[in-house]
Amino acid sequence: MSQSLSPECTPLKKVYDSCFNSWFEGYLEPAIAASTKPEQRTEYAKRKAEEFQANCGKVWEQYKACVQGAVKEKGLDQLLEQAREENPLMEPTPPSK
Amino acid sequence: MRFFSQSYLYDDSWSIVTLAFFLRYPNPYAAHVLSCDVISRDCTPSGTLVTKRLILKQGNLPRWFPKGIVSRAESWVIEESEVDPYGQVVRCTTRNLDHVKVMQVEESVKFAQTTDGKTLQHTEGRVFSRFGWGLTKKIENHGLNKFKANLQRSREGVSVVLSLLRQSRLQPM
Repeated sequence: MSQSLSPECTPLKKVYDSCFNSWFEGYLEPAIAASTKPEQRTEYAKRKAEEFQANCGKVWEQYKACVQGAVKEKGLDQLLEQAREENPLMEPTPPSK
Repeated sequence: MRFFSQSYLYDDSWSIVTLAFFLRYPNPYAAHVLSCDVISRDCTPSGTLVTKRLILKQGNLPRWFPKGIVSRAESWVIEESEVDPYGQVVRCTTRNLDHVKVMQVEESVKFAQTTDGKTLQHTEGRVFSRFGWGLTKKIENHGLNKFKANLQRSREGVSVVLSLLRQSRLQPM
């Protein structure tokens, strides 16, 4: 697993990543048929989300707080905000001249 | 603006290709990836998973590029993805956050399961420069060529991770 942008968050990132990955593996192969009724699917999706929360919720909150702190410290929050506002690439692109 | 698109078919199923795609850092073909963090991740009411990752990549400036304009060749990249395990589709867009006036590269990738259980990857790349000084076209062409070469390397990286995943699944528990 790769490093975090801040060395102090890397240990939390590793714990979070391995927790997420084992949940994700199961998430990718839903134990319900594609033809299932929408309400059953919503119910199943809700259970999956709760399962993540129960297994990884705590370390996710810790890791997220650590990264958010590091993002602020490096001034990256402004860069992220700017990108969200400008977002020039979400517009249809004009044909090249 | 320069545009490029390409499709590629993996023999493996969508779920394992998607897993490999999310696990692709680190790999021997991605030594330029310095860090990778999840900055937000949410399960949507419809059951999809939406993720934003912030990635720091080490780049190289071409020799002809004017000195002293870009202080460091590192670039912050934002990757936004949505995974739909019911429809078996992943959509992911990536773009750089800094040096955007020099060059903005946007990549969109889609992984979808085919009817015969394989996985089709479709990639689109767009390269813009607003640099001026008579260099805009040269920068865009350079960016596009890098994009094509990187796409090849990134696929090789995913394939390495894929074969590791396959091997680990063959191991008895």
